[in-house]
Amino acid sequence: MKIPFMMKRRGMLLIVLIVMLAATACVGGPIEANWGHLSLVGEPQNILFAFSDRMVLIDPADGSPVELRDANGNIRVDDQGNPRLWEVRGSGNTPTQFYTSPIVLDDNRLLATSYMGRLYEVELSAARIVNPEGRPTEGHVVANVLATPEFLYVPLSEGRVEALDRSNLTQAWTFDEPEHGVWAQPVLVDDTLYVTSLDHHLYALDPDTGEEQWRVDLQGAIASSPVYSDGYLYVGSFARKLFKVSTDGEIVAEYATRDWVWGSPVLVDGVLYAADLGGFVYALEDNGDSLDPVWEPRQAASRAIRATPVVTGDVIIVGSRDHNTYWLERDSGAEIFRREMVGEVLADMLLLEPSETLNIPEPWIVVSTMANEELLVAFSVSDGVRQWAYRR
Amino acid sequence: MDFILNPFVTLLTFLYSIFANNMVLAIVVFTIIVRLITYPLTVQQMRSSQAMQKLQPELKKLQEKYKGDREKMSQEQMRLYREYGVNPLGGCLPLLIQFPIFISLYQAIIHALAATPTQLLDLSGRLMIPGLDQHIPLENTWLGMNLTQPPTIAGVDLASIIGIVLVGLVVLTTWLQFKVTMPATPPSDDGKPNQAQAMSQSMGTIMPLMYGFFALSFSVGISIYFIVSNIVGIVQYALMGRANFRNIFGGGKGASSTPSASNGAAPTKIEGKAKARPVGTKSTQRAGKAK
Repeated sequence: MKIPFMMKRRGMLLIVLIVMLAATACVGGPIEANWGHLSLVGEPQNILFAFSDRMVLIDPADGSPVELRDANGNIRVDDQGNPRLWEVRGSGNTPTQFYTSPIVLDDNRLLATSYMGRLYEVELSAARIVNPEGRPTEGHVVANVLATPEFLYVPLSEGRVEALDRSNLTQAWTFDEPEHGVWAQPVLVDDTLYVTSLDHHLYALDPDTGEEQWRVDLQGAIASSPVYSDGYLYVGSFARKLFKVSTDGEIVAEYATRDWVWGSPVLVDGVLYAADLGGFVYALEDNGDSLDPVWEPRQAASRAIRATPVVTGDVIIVGSRDHNTYWLERDSGAEIFRREMVGEVLADMLLLEPSETLNIPEPWIVVSTMANEELLVAFSVSDGVRQWAYRR
Repeated sequence: MDFILNPFVTLLTFLYSIFANNMVLAIVVFTIIVRLITYPLTVQQMRSSQAMQKLQPELKKLQEKYKGDREKMSQEQMRLYREYGVNPLGGCLPLLIQFPIFISLYQAIIHALAATPTQLLDLSGRLMIPGLDQHIPLENTWLGMNLTQPPTIAGVDLASIIGIVLVGLVVLTTWLQFKVTMPATPPSDDGKPNQAQAMSQSMGTIMPLMYGFFALSFSVGISIYFIVSNIVGIVQYALMGRANFRNIFGGGKGASSTPSASNGAAPTKIEGKAKARPVGTKSTQRAGKAK
């Protein structure tokens, strides 16, 4: 039987269509540009979780979404009689993504930054965006904004820092020397603003004018904020190194790590704790002109540790892309136990201190994963018992 | 896909580092390397396609002979392919190989140029040559366009104009390559295009549009890959003496069934044990016996 030519042609078109769809499917759909951020806001405090297309408020006691209440304290309900939850989504035609913690402007106002480069004023009591169009920034925002009483310092993915007058959000100055993105929150110490960039430089700026005071090349991209202590800055870079830099821009000491360092180090009792993308954890003693290991670097995780370690009591807690959160002994780096989760752990963790008001009897650690099935999990710090989980 | 993706990302980053941090040049050289590596497949595709063209008269005779017996016709066709050492799917293999390369390159560009934190995080651990870290992040803008993003063609700015030109070049070079590499097909006895010819003409329209769609949907870097790959393909065919430039201007249409007459190239060889025999004789006789 001969197949009519028109049928063959249709078959061919079908094959072409399948190839096009397969190609589109193989290259994958849009993935998240960034991981979420956790912070505590309001009174009583709740966990504000900014991730993907929305910001939500979570009750730290049980992980339940916070319900909206009216002036009399009654729960607000929607048309179907269901309680209305505290949730802020983008508005307008442009899809909005929130990956950074908002700034608390006052008791009832937050300033949220969207990844797409908009600043939204949010009414805390009503979870309502006051300015739906948003105030545009000069680029994408992937790191938290630094707020001072006078200025808001906005780090931009386009290699810029924009300083806004806090009172009216008008631009005070911009610093556009970096050749690549600024992916970390700036740090203000003793009237100097420190800015890191993927262009390998740590910059020191005048916080009032944005004028550059000095810069130092740290040999690799820098995606985290420096930590300041006693006249020195500590920061890691993709050059597989941790650096100690003086406040006049001189590299005082450096330590070679096994892989890129993304998260900020933590300085506790004179010991610098850090982790790298190879899953290694470091404890380094600052001996003036050298950083020396307290114990041999330990590969705690099988995949990257992106987030800044949490050091509390006698333990170091690190989350990894291998879906685990590890509890390590602070004085040896040995693993105490681990807790497995559904998704990769990339975001910085939130330590909740004991609080009668919040009904938290002991320190808890809140870990965020990239999986919607288990976006947040709270564990007790002491024994790793799972307290609650939040899913979307 | 990591076993393909990681070498691709490493090679792209390495080329970027040796070509003065120029990503476009890195993609161009990368494409040339890929085309050179897949050159044997290109030769196979060319031979297979020309052999298939050469067998068309015989296949047509078989179709006429076994109009009512499809199974028998298939058997005879397979026998014919075996006899002349022709793999009917041989022409598809290079195309199939291109598919994972295209997907991997797209992913490699996205990963290497890492525009977002999650992409950059994913890049870590993929670089297989020590010391390439210092080049991270790679410069991802070119002529005002982001190489990881599809070209923007909606505006009236320079980037949009370049985007339109880029997509146009993808369509044009795909069409040119198709035309130049397509062997001349003889018309049917009644003077109308035969089925194979008509199918080829349809593909000549569909393929450029499909690649235009890809160029619009994926990244600017992929468009550069398509353009360079097409140009290198044309050059390869020309260097082999198989380029049929007359097809571009319609000169190849209805030309002689002998490729040497249509494009001035060397005569097509059908490889296999029966290659010294006049095409069609034996199988026609055998088919007759079978009947």
